Amino acid sequence: MLEFLIAQIGQWLGEDIGASLAYISNGKHLAWYASVRYTLIAAVGGATCAVLFGLLGAALKQSSFLPFKWLGDFYTTIVRGVPDVLFILFFPLAFEKGVEYILAYVKCGAENVAATTGWPPCDAAQWYLSTGDYLVMACVSLGIVYGAFAANVIHGAMMAVSRGQLEAASAYGFTPRQVFWRFKVRQMWAYALPGLSNVWMLLLKATSLLSLLQIADIVQWAGRLGAANYFPRVGLVHPDWRWKYYLVLFLFFILMTMISERFFEALQRRASRGMAITGSN
Amino acid sequence: MFESLHQSAFIQDVIIFAKPALFNLYFALASIPAGFPFAVLLALGKASPNKWLALLSRGYIYAFRGSPLFIQFFMCYSIMLAMNQSLWKPWGIDHIVLHPLFLGPFVLVLNTSAYAAELFYGALKTVPKGEVEAAQAYGMSRWNVFRSVTWPHMLRLAWPAYSNEMVFLFHATTLVYFTLPVINEQKDLMNKATDLFERDYNVFLHFGVAALYFLLISILIFWVAGLIQKHLNSHITGDKVRLSFKPRYLR
Amino acid sequence: MYKLVLSAVLAVSLLVSSAMASESIRLCTEGAYPPYNYVDDNGKLAGFEVDLGNALCKKAGLTCEWVANEWDSIIPNLIAGNYDGILAGMSITDERRKTITFSDEYYPVAPSLYAAAAGNTIDLSALKGKKIGVQGATTQAAFAEKKYGADNTIVSFQSFDQSVADLMAGNIDLLLADGDPLIPVVEGSKGALVYVGDGESIGGGVAIGLRQKDIALADKLNAALTELKNDGTVDALIKKYFDKGPFYTN
Repeated sequence: MLEFLIAQIGQWLGEDIGASLAYISNGKHLAWYASVRYTLIAAVGGATCAVLFGLLGAALKQSSFLPFKWLGDFYTTIVRGVPDVLFILFFPLAFEKGVEYILAYVKCGAENVAATTGWPPCDAAQWYLSTGDYLVMACVSLGIVYGAFAANVIHGAMMAVSRGQLEAASAYGFTPRQVFWRFKVRQMWAYALPGLSNVWMLLLKATSLLSLLQIADIVQWAGRLGAANYFPRVGLVHPDWRWKYYLVLFLFFILMTMISERFFEALQRRASRGMAITGSN
Repeated sequence: MFESLHQSAFIQDVIIFAKPALFNLYFALASIPAGFPFAVLLALGKASPNKWLALLSRGYIYAFRGSPLFIQFFMCYSIMLAMNQSLWKPWGIDHIVLHPLFLGPFVLVLNTSAYAAELFYGALKTVPKGEVEAAQAYGMSRWNVFRSVTWPHMLRLAWPAYSNEMVFLFHATTLVYFTLPVINEQKDLMNKATDLFERDYNVFLHFGVAALYFLLISILIFWVAGLIQKHLNSHITGDKVRLSFKPRYLR
Repeated sequence: MYKLVLSAVLAVSLLVSSAMASESIRLCTEGAYPPYNYVDDNGKLAGFEVDLGNALCKKAGLTCEWVANEWDSIIPNLIAGNYDGILAGMSITDERRKTITFSDEYYPVAPSLYAAAAGNTIDLSALKGKKIGVQGATTQAAFAEKKYGADNTIVSFQSFDQSVADLMAGNIDLLLADGDPLIPVVEGSKGALVYVGDGESIGGGVAIGLRQKDIALADKLNAALTELKNDGTVDALIKKYFDKGPFYTN
């Protein structure tokens, strides 16, 4: 069906354009377009994790119990002081090792684990990581890294909610729990959104690093498709075209940024309804 | 026994990583002297009354802030490579242009200047109109107004955010050798960490020491930036600068 | 912390379920090294090694699944257990034998070749101040480093594609690479590239890389490989993809 359609359009546009159309819609290229799903899953999954880690981090930072507060500050400081690439490479490796260690204890017993020197300690503890597993780990790593950023934004936003509002609410007889959820958190979003939008943009750009975790994402496919081919069996013989493919990715991410901006503007309008801060109405 | 063995492995790593850390530091330090003036020019361009200049600067800043550095690296390298035969070779500069020690900072400059320009632009918008008008009323030339009113105000206001940007830039140097070829033994912290990891699979030790280097150098950058900030604000307050880590979580 | 425990439990249950469906193995290739392995127009892994791997699995009664992995982390990820075997044009070397083991070879030793831009006169016996490109973590990289590293600049690339791109663009003076992927490049360059010298014999034949403790799997694959060599299947695949010998039967 698709091939027929392309042939028709090709005839209508002329032979050269028809050939290029057929080329950019062959299986290889379709696989490239389809690999966008990894980027989107990682972005959405990573953002969800980041908000969860962010709320957790903000709660820790606000805690009156000092060790919790230190833990929150430690988390955000370490993550901010270390490049995101390092975390994204480190976390899946460390997590895999941790899981295999636990597995080794469960399946092979402590004596066997202590006796072996290699890795993993026993065969049964081998964890075969598939693309799906890597994707989940990429989401968690992105969540940890940008959760620290989100924690700071959320912490700041909670501090920005005016104390008077909360006092008024409790004066009206709302319980502390109601005051927290219905007033503090509800109003917090309006203050946090600009910052969270910035965190989302950073996270979106960080999804370009998925190929470092052996996920065949848009970046890896672009490199493969653009690489020069001198071998007719492999497909169309062409010189090095990578810069064209990377240019497409460059534009793709700019487009994603534009869409995100529109989305967050709409969200901001929604969140600040009825609030006396700039950006309302 | 185990403890001392572990300690020596740690110290060994600290020694091994010292040279690779210099490469990351080099990439960041080489990018700042070019990135800073370029960012100022971009910010002035974006604020310029000239419509085309403003549009061009705005577009540049948007594009380079809106796309990942990882892709900018790949793109710039492949474009530079494609222009080698027609431009760099005839000019005799191909050995410089395509060298990671040049191309790395080059791409980092393109990237960081867009982020920094946005910060400077934000600061420019807050320069009090009255001060500029007063200076003009004194008969100052446009250059003099810029030098004595706009520039100090902009710099003082944007500095905390700019010091933050320098730390982001330093972290971004990790991407250089993920995208550009490695010449001889010129390896950076991430190269070295993955190299060592592939030998003994001790992920916590090698990545941990690399992370420690990043953390310490980040703190150092904040400290130096703090000293400069103190100098910029010397006429306002005399606050003391300690070796501190006060990052922003925005870029 | 709770999340970590939860995911660990999840991982355990996944593992148990995957262990039950045993007799299935995962093979890994790079997908950027034609004719050994590449991605075809349909976006699927293809090439000499993919066909050979499938034939081997059929013969040995194994269910095989293919994974693509970048070259520079292909051995670490084998050891970490992301897959069970590597078929990626990997030559047997003593250096690699320290960390992994190999099956019998499935493609004989082929010489590594030098290529340079036409008109760029290069004297291999007196190489000085040249930029020599290699793919990082290959036998050629180790060889070039040892032989020419003192007087020349060794440039290591992440992939074979990238090294060819830099040679074509004139960023390196000389490329040392495996002959089989390099031959179609030089021939397809329409005279832009030429061979330099006769090449070098580096490393052993090409074989399947396996974890050192997987002796049972190595035996199984070797038995199947011997059969395929004897009945001419391997030779037919060599003929199909390389269009020339050497062959295992006559």
